[in-house]
Order: sequence, then C-alpha cells, then structure tokens
Amino acid sequence: MNIRRLTELALLSSVALIIFVIELRIPNPFPIPGVKLGLANIVTVYAVFRYQPAETALIVSVRLLLGAMFSGNPSALLYSAAGAVCCLLGMLALRNVLPEKQIWLCSVIGAMLHNAGQITAAIIIMRSFSVIAYLPLLLVTGSLAGVFTGLCTQLLLNRIKR
Amino acid sequence: MRNRKPLIAVIVIILVSACLSVLILRHSDQQAVEIVQDGAVLYTFDLNSTADRDIRISAPDGGYNLVQIRSGTICISEADCPDQTCVNMGKLQSDYLPIVCLPHKLIVRFAEEGS
Repeated sequence: MNIRRLTELALLSSVALIIFVIELRIPNPFPIPGVKLGLANIVTVYAVFRYQPAETALIVSVRLLLGAMFSGNPSALLYSAAGAVCCLLGMLALRNVLPEKQIWLCSVIGAMLHNAGQITAAIIIMRSFSVIAYLPLLLVTGSLAGVFTGLCTQLLLNRIKR
Repeated sequence: MRNRKPLIAVIVIILVSACLSVLILRHSDQQAVEIVQDGAVLYTFDLNSTADRDIRISAPDGGYNLVQIRSGTICISEADCPDQTCVNMGKLQSDYLPIVCLPHKLIVRFAEEGS
C-alpha cells in the first residue's frame, strides 16, 4: 500500500467518523434499539465500489472502534460490529452482481443484512429470543435508511470520477 | 436493468416485515410481566395487582436501570447508559416487542400465557 492510498483511506475513515459523531447529536425519532439513519455508511458503500475489499474492511473497522470510543458506548460495539461484518460481506458479494445503476439496492440489502447481524448478536448476548420481534421493524426502517444512504452514494460516485 | 431478482426479493422482504410490524406493534391485553436479565428471570408481576413501585436493577458492569410500575403500566424510567433508548421507549405495550436495554442485557416483557 503506497502513501497516497494510505492517506485516502485515512481521510475516508475520518470523514465517516465525523459523520458518525454528528449523527449522534441528531435526536432519534424512533425510540427503538438499533434504529439509526446510519449516514456514515455512505462512506462504506462508496468504499465498497471504489476500493479493495480489504481496504474497505480497514475503513469500517477503524470507524467502528473509534466510533464506539467517541460515543462513550463501548458495549454497543458488539452489536454494530456483528451488523457491519454481515453488511460488508453481503455488499462485497453484490458489488459484482448488481449493475452500476443499482447501487442504492446494494445499500438497501446491506442495511438489511446489518439489521439481521445486529439481531443475531442481540439474541446471543441477551440469551433470549424475544428480541427477534425487533427484526421486522428494523428491516423496514433500515431499508428506508439504506435507500437514502444508497442514493447519496450514487450521487457521490457520479460526481467523483475515478 | 438486467437483473430484477434482487429488487423483487427486497420488495417482498419489506412488505412482509411491514405486515409483521403492524402485528407486532398491536397493544397487548396481557397482565403478566417479567423482567429478565442476561437470560435469567429476575421478577414476575401481575400488573393488575401490583402496587406502584420502583425497582432498581443493577447491571454487572456497574450500571443500573430503574423500572417503574404505575397504575397497571410498566416502563423504564431511568438508566445510566449513554443512549437512553430503553427510557425513550416508554411503557410496555406490545405482546411481542419487549423493552430492552442492550448495554445492560435487560429485557422487560409480557410473560407467556400460563407461565
């Protein structure tokens, strides 16, 4: 990895982190655990389409770790990490299947996989199946957020030519 | 658009979850409530016959939640976690949707019939 690449990755990670921290300040209209707009994932989807899988994974893990520290909520790391791993694997697989025009769809599927991962982590950690009731709610809100971040990424990819 | 299959799959999943969400958000007429932490049932109540009270539940990591029972309703009134989601969820209303506090592994839910 050359210096230029390293700098780009660091820049993207800090952009994601800044978006994440600003989003923490926005009050959540849905008082349901796990529901979030997830604006920082604009950077994730962008990286999926413009960078190597390993590089994208680096950006996401830096954001997860530092984000957990900055939000003062380290216990949330387990849930968000489980979601992020599912989301990332799914989107990396879809990257080659979906045409350029359907990046937003990739983001929606990523959001759903994120929610599924979160709930699975919650079931394991809380040792209770009752949290699965949140899955449908998370899928609906998550796919809305996914459409939004996906469209943002699509705009971004069109503007920033390689 | 070359491949429509993913799009159709996503739409089907969203529609199914939307229907399930409506079902899940329905209000419950049950009265038996249990408080579960880390997979173990700590308390069970019958909301009709329980007097107003506050229960402080400590979490293994040193945090706490304050569970409040007021005239047949139950909610988490206070927690020392940063996200406060469990407090914002308000009263327990749905059969299927428990109040959960992820950082403290705490669940407040309606108990199953007959248990």
